[in-house]
Amino acid sequence: MSEFIWVGLPYIAFTFLVIGSIVRYTVSERTWTTKSSEFLEKKQLKIAGPLFHGALFFVFLGHVGGVLVPQEVTEFFGVSEHQYHAMALYIGGLAGIALVVGFFLLMRRRFFSRYMKVNTSTMDVWLFLFLGLTICTGFAATMLNADGAFNYREYIGPWFRSLLYWHPQPALMEHIPVIFKVHMLSWMIVCIIFPFTRLVHCLSIPFNYLRRSPVVYRKR
Amino acid sequence: MKIKAQISMVMNLDKCIGCHTCSITCKNTWTNREGAEYMYFNNVETKPGIGYPRNWEDQNRWKGGWVLKNGKLELATGSKASRLLKLFYHPQQPELKDYFEPWTYDYETLIHSKRKNNQPVARPRSLITKERMEVEWGPNWEDDLAGGDTARADINLKNIGQEVALDFHDIFMKYLPRLCNHCLNPACVAACPSGAMYKRDEDGVVLVNQDVCRGWRHCVPACPYKKVYYNWKTNKAEKCVFCYPRLENGLPMICADTCVGRMRYAGVLLYDMDRVQAAAATPNKEDIYENVLDILLDPHDPAVIAAAREEGISENWIKAAQESPVYKMVKEWKIALPLHAEYRTVPMVWYVPPMSPILHQRAAGVNFPESEEMRIPVAYLSQLLAAGNEAVIRRVLQTLIDLRRFMQKQTRGESTDEFKERYDTDQLMAMYRLLGVAKYRERFRIPAGAPLSREEKKEAQGCAGFNTCGGCHA
Repeated sequence: MSEFIWVGLPYIAFTFLVIGSIVRYTVSERTWTTKSSEFLEKKQLKIAGPLFHGALFFVFLGHVGGVLVPQEVTEFFGVSEHQYHAMALYIGGLAGIALVVGFFLLMRRRFFSRYMKVNTSTMDVWLFLFLGLTICTGFAATMLNADGAFNYREYIGPWFRSLLYWHPQPALMEHIPVIFKVHMLSWMIVCIIFPFTRLVHCLSIPFNYLRRSPVVYRKR
Repeated sequence: MKIKAQISMVMNLDKCIGCHTCSITCKNTWTNREGAEYMYFNNVETKPGIGYPRNWEDQNRWKGGWVLKNGKLELATGSKASRLLKLFYHPQQPELKDYFEPWTYDYETLIHSKRKNNQPVARPRSLITKERMEVEWGPNWEDDLAGGDTARADINLKNIGQEVALDFHDIFMKYLPRLCNHCLNPACVAACPSGAMYKRDEDGVVLVNQDVCRGWRHCVPACPYKKVYYNWKTNKAEKCVFCYPRLENGLPMICADTCVGRMRYAGVLLYDMDRVQAAAATPNKEDIYENVLDILLDPHDPAVIAAAREEGISENWIKAAQESPVYKMVKEWKIALPLHAEYRTVPMVWYVPPMSPILHQRAAGVNFPESEEMRIPVAYLSQLLAAGNEAVIRRVLQTLIDLRRFMQKQTRGESTDEFKERYDTDQLMAMYRLLGVAKYRERFRIPAGAPLSREEKKEAQGCAGFNTCGGCHA
């Protein structure tokens, strides 16, 4: 079971994320959209939209730094574990608060305003459930581990990187606190459903726009 | 010089009777489906009025079109980088309520009603939420000034100050049919973060690629005419397609074809693509119109024909450009004007300004009114069609007045010598034929068929229009 959860499931999740997205892009690009609902509800989005997405940006950067960068690297640059943890706790915690607040504001907007029903599919509800679980467990894990008793950079980081070099080490994950385990499970579920949801818009950040000429002519 | 061909339209507002046939045929053809109920690719507004969507002309609020910044064109919604920050919330995006909430009626209650003492009533039901609703605004709430006070809120009236009193005796109105202008310098295309919007190379029709559109919805506020719409069902942008499947078969747009007043004209214009930006960036907004006329090229000029051939424009397109009714009205006779040229998008739908009845206080003793004696103030028309340049409106109205006086004398068998100094009388007759008689074949000159090479035709054979996986363009 442990093998499946810490080796099988993450690879299944990556496969869905990558292959699923490629397949959807190829066969059904027409449904690939941000599913923006500003047209239906604008007032509440004003705060909630930028708050959520802005916070997500910092949280994402934090995860790249915390999970992909080995502890030895930060220590080589003279950042002690204590300093790192304090930084992660305060900056990450702040971004986390913004993310959680943004998420709940968006959910309030989605489920309690007049027109939003028509922009909310069943798949969206599943997505919000698992995305919400991921966000809340992530934030809770940060808060519950405020004293730094559990150094995830000795367990979760190496485990995640071990998956990337094709030498999975599930043993690292067996004794981590439950809240982190739930966080891991929920992000894997989010990855699995990713290609089937509106989340695909994260892959469409329009960087090309910055380089493009303003007026586009196209031959058939 | 880089020559491109553009399908363009002229509307002779003098003959618009405000019947909305264009809107209805357009709606039945293109936007009669879920997610698009609120969209009118073509709509007819009564001016003065705030229009559809409400107050669309108020660019202080919507930031549509282009502005000049240090002599350079920039989208009014801001620089590229600042607009990327608006991906998560666009302050200038119109909402459903800025258009109207589309509705139907509970017709079933009429059919299935049991015998009652009172008539059954079909109450309105929202097409968005499917719930009961009260109808408080519609796509044409102001029809024939029915909106009451909203007419006074017209931004064009505000711009000309207090000169115009909507005095009952001299109250005025006109119709303004609006559709996508298929601009030469389209702000929507420039604002699209995904690169989904483009001008078709062969005929300049502005389209949204429904596969590439990601629903960032930046085109909607960027278009100063608010003619790109956001489909709440598919979550992608949609707009008037100039009925391109009809154009490709040599037919005019459905709105133009079905126009009861026969006031729409369509044809080809040739223009110099290299000079579009400079014309759009004309420092004084009153000069934009003249500068845009300069980039429209004479299709009879041998140099232009040679350059057009070099660009791969086919012979039937060049011939269509030479016979284009639009070219005559826009460039030769200079009687068709662009709507709000000051938005700097270089629109390719043109309007012949309308004549109007004689002012009440001048009615006695005036046979043919001069432009100043007409009810619709020249200043008001100039806000709409001449970026505030009243001289342009006066000149066009004078031409239309002279045309009528000429025809009156001609019909009565009186001498028309007085017109020979200022006009070519053959031209006046041609204007009369095109504006007055307005035969179908003379109003529309659309070259059939996209210019495909022999190889392209061969390749397209058997494709039946499919270009997805399994099709030949995959």
